[in-house]
Amino acid sequence: MTYADPKVAITPSRHTKTWGPIYDENIGVVDSPFVFDQYKLSLEHYLAPVSRQWANPSLRFNTLKAEWEAETAHLSSVTEISIHPAYQQIIGMGTIALPYILDELRKKPGHWFWALKAITGEDPVSPSERGKIKQMAAAWLKWGRGQGYIR
Amino acid sequence: MAQMGTGAGIHSLSSQVIEHYFPNLSGDNNLITSPQTPEYNCIAWAAEDTEAWWWPDRNDQYYWPPSVPRTESLDSFIRAYALQGYSVCASADYEESFEKIAIYADPQGKPTHAARQLSNGHWTSKLGGMEDIEHYTLEGLHGAEYGVVALVIKREK
Repeated sequence: MTYADPKVAITPSRHTKTWGPIYDENIGVVDSPFVFDQYKLSLEHYLAPVSRQWANPSLRFNTLKAEWEAETAHLSSVTEISIHPAYQQIIGMGTIALPYILDELRKKPGHWFWALKAITGEDPVSPSERGKIKQMAAAWLKWGRGQGYIR
Repeated sequence: MAQMGTGAGIHSLSSQVIEHYFPNLSGDNNLITSPQTPEYNCIAWAAEDTEAWWWPDRNDQYYWPPSVPRTESLDSFIRAYALQGYSVCASADYEESFEKIAIYADPQGKPTHAARQLSNGHWTSKLGGMEDIEHYTLEGLHGAEYGVVALVIKREK
């Protein structure tokens, strides 16, 4: 297995645990998954405190989201919706949660605005858009694109 | 309960979820009358606004009439609806020449919900981000989630 002949090193999946180089149809040779994972991990550690790291942020976010939605869907009080423990834990994930929140907002507008404001300290929604959920979502998605959280 | 035409299975599931939250509701004392939507809530729906989610949140993120204090109190809600012509009244009984809104509150007196009376004497409620329902009595939504009716307001039709 050498870098000189990457096709020899083809693995069944990029997710397969291997220590050697792998070949990706789209981008050619990539470094070993181990090196790639370590690079991602070091970047995450650089961007957010280690204390906020979760072993699997996506899983953590989706678990908390499901719990929050199931227990607050019938409520009108934005305060009650937003102080739900699962929602507060999502806020506690910090900036790691932003791509997941924005992706959720893109798929289905919902009450993510308290969390977004709490995490970022910003509010791109204009006074005339207050309460208009689709417009509020659009304002945050525009913000997210501007900040590079949405590709 | 087959009002929506979105499939009996989905409809049945919504009914089950609603009756889980509100055990005083059952298949024979309420109807689902709209699809789920997060675009407005019960407070807006009572004011016949389907464009915005009304709430006097301290974050200043949701709609609340600008001239009314953003406090989660019955007084604030009374003042918000007063701008629509409503004033406090003594009874929730149907009166031909009046429209009525019932405001629910928790044991601490904090508003939780509003229901608007229909011309048949029943009540219409938007359940958070879920569906609108028509419920035959105000007691149908009494319980741990919305508390009880704290006051009723009315205006001339």
